[in-house]
Amino acid sequence: MSLSTLTRPWRPFNYGFLDESAKREIRRRTLKAIAVPGYQVPYASREVPMARGWGTGGLQVTLTLLKPSAVVKVIDQGADDSVNAASIRKFLRRVGGAGETLDTTEATLIQSRHRIPEETLRADQILVLQVPDPEPLRSVEPDISEARYRHADADYGLLWLKLYEQIVRSGRIMQGASYPSLVNGRHVMSPSPIPRWDVPKLHQAENLTILSAGREKRIYAVPPHTDVVPLVFDDIAYRVEDHAGIPCGRSGVTGYFLNELPQAGGASLHEMSDSHFATKHIQKREGAPVTLGDTYYRNGSMAR
Amino acid sequence: MAYAATRGGEEAIAQAERLYRDDLGPLTAGRIAEVRRALPYLVDRVMGEASLYEPDLAALALAQTGGELYEAVLLLRAYRTTQPRLWTAEPVTHRDILTVRRISAAFKDIPGGQILGPTLDYSHRLLKVGVLAGETDVPEPVTPGRTSAPATQPALADWQREQGLVAPERAAKVPLDDIPDVTRDGLLFPPPRAHRLQTLARGDTGGMLALGYANQRGYGPVHPAVNDLRLGEAEVRLRHPRGTVFSAGRVRVSETEMVSKDPRADTLKLGFCATFGWNEVKTIAGATLDLSMEEQSAFAAADEEFVLYHTEPTEASGFCIHFKMPHYVTFQSSLDALRGANADRDRRAARAKARPKADRMSGAEIEEALS
Repeated sequence: MSLSTLTRPWRPFNYGFLDESAKREIRRRTLKAIAVPGYQVPYASREVPMARGWGTGGLQVTLTLLKPSAVVKVIDQGADDSVNAASIRKFLRRVGGAGETLDTTEATLIQSRHRIPEETLRADQILVLQVPDPEPLRSVEPDISEARYRHADADYGLLWLKLYEQIVRSGRIMQGASYPSLVNGRHVMSPSPIPRWDVPKLHQAENLTILSAGREKRIYAVPPHTDVVPLVFDDIAYRVEDHAGIPCGRSGVTGYFLNELPQAGGASLHEMSDSHFATKHIQKREGAPVTLGDTYYRNGSMAR
Repeated sequence: MAYAATRGGEEAIAQAERLYRDDLGPLTAGRIAEVRRALPYLVDRVMGEASLYEPDLAALALAQTGGELYEAVLLLRAYRTTQPRLWTAEPVTHRDILTVRRISAAFKDIPGGQILGPTLDYSHRLLKVGVLAGETDVPEPVTPGRTSAPATQPALADWQREQGLVAPERAAKVPLDDIPDVTRDGLLFPPPRAHRLQTLARGDTGGMLALGYANQRGYGPVHPAVNDLRLGEAEVRLRHPRGTVFSAGRVRVSETEMVSKDPRADTLKLGFCATFGWNEVKTIAGATLDLSMEEQSAFAAADEEFVLYHTEPTEASGFCIHFKMPHYVTFQSSLDALRGANADRDRRAARAKARPKADRMSGAEIEEALS
């Protein structure tokens, strides 16, 4: 018997890039995050061959979940063809050899920056959201140690005060993306900078959502069938972006979240932010055999 | 397609990377050897920030990135993190380091003596422009001293402790395998001392200099001086499973101890920083920060959480350049709130104009304005 019969041949990198001990740590932290919905679990957060802040947290979770039978979709701000999404997809191909798709309904693993797809995710799909800043209290309490105490005490008074002050100053809640939301009645989380349009998609979802911040070294999760309630006052309703009635300039479809494209002369064009969903509408209209999945929104309002 | 600059997918990415690499030209073993030979201090700095001691890999990272320092550090870190941790070396103390340079500013002379060693500290910084005109600048030979300096040096702090000037050493006896490793654990606050010193050891030289300098200039609670600064080589001693301790080689290290009067007692306090490679400015700044972080202070530059988070080179540089990524969904969401608020304000103003003017809004009007 020699050493070479006991060990695998040398390879420059492991399957899925990360070594097995790093994956094991991330699996354990993710299980804890699922067990305590919305709670930010610290983890070591390894360096990956991409700059911090470019989806390294999401990438570590995706690399850990990667297997040859997975079908991966990567989105950046709704688009599959955005350069960073393309770069992440290329990296996953290089180290994982899993299947790839642009179609939400075909994916088993979706890594996304700042959007939840418009087509309803199923129980057999996992959504991994990249998170720049996991701390919903950051704007009112920059000190992480203090913020952890506030989470432990479920003391979110400063956040309520901030929202109230926005109403007093501006007549409405001015929070754009990253709308603070109460998970499972216990922890307030930042849903990552998804637009307000996407937050209701997390509530009582069929799928597991894992949120991972690489730079800030925190993993948290929204398990299936879990309450996710944006912080709102009883007498002031939660408002999503006012996109329900504007048609998409590419597909002509109305009722989904849009990107605004400024035009010379001060006008704006709009196109659907979920770019492949728009493409599918166009393909279907041209007679291609595509299947449009169920959507969270119907006629511009949440179907539930 | 609007916003074409950020679209285009894989072909555009591939070509963009080719443009960068085309500027650098072919990467050869010769070029890497030359980087290692000609730029040892740069190689040292990258090894320190990457916390990976391998001069060939560091020179490769520098050559591969054309000297883009943060990219080079990231390359090395992403390589390092996948490597197994096989062993923990035996601890190295001041007294063990094969010292080539050792100075103290706290005393004129110190046990063991002041050893200047290799430094540019006292040189005139005149650019040798003649080299550009074809001259070769050959370094003048070093004249050997009458007696050679001792290979190792005692710790000045030992003498200060005997004098009762510094509190007794309180080194915790931690089994080697239980030393916390900041590259394998999350950084939580307050961190164990090991995490603090490791974070400083792999900290961004420029970032630590900025915050350390801020402390030294008065934006901090301490007024330190260099107590004991060393450049040298440390033996990497490993314990064989059969119990024999053997040397696996030597690494270049820098370490600095800064001293300041304890503001709450009539004693001196010491701050410490060490790193791979020879990088004096980093360890002086780091030891200053170590001292400052011990004190209660209103200065951000002396706050442990602030300092350790913001001097992390990979995280800071990565986040800074991430702003080049598209942010249009996030921006759209804020835009919607802005426009909504402005529209509401215009509507309220129009309604107020239509109404007879009153000095104060009635309760009902406030309700309406808020709704």
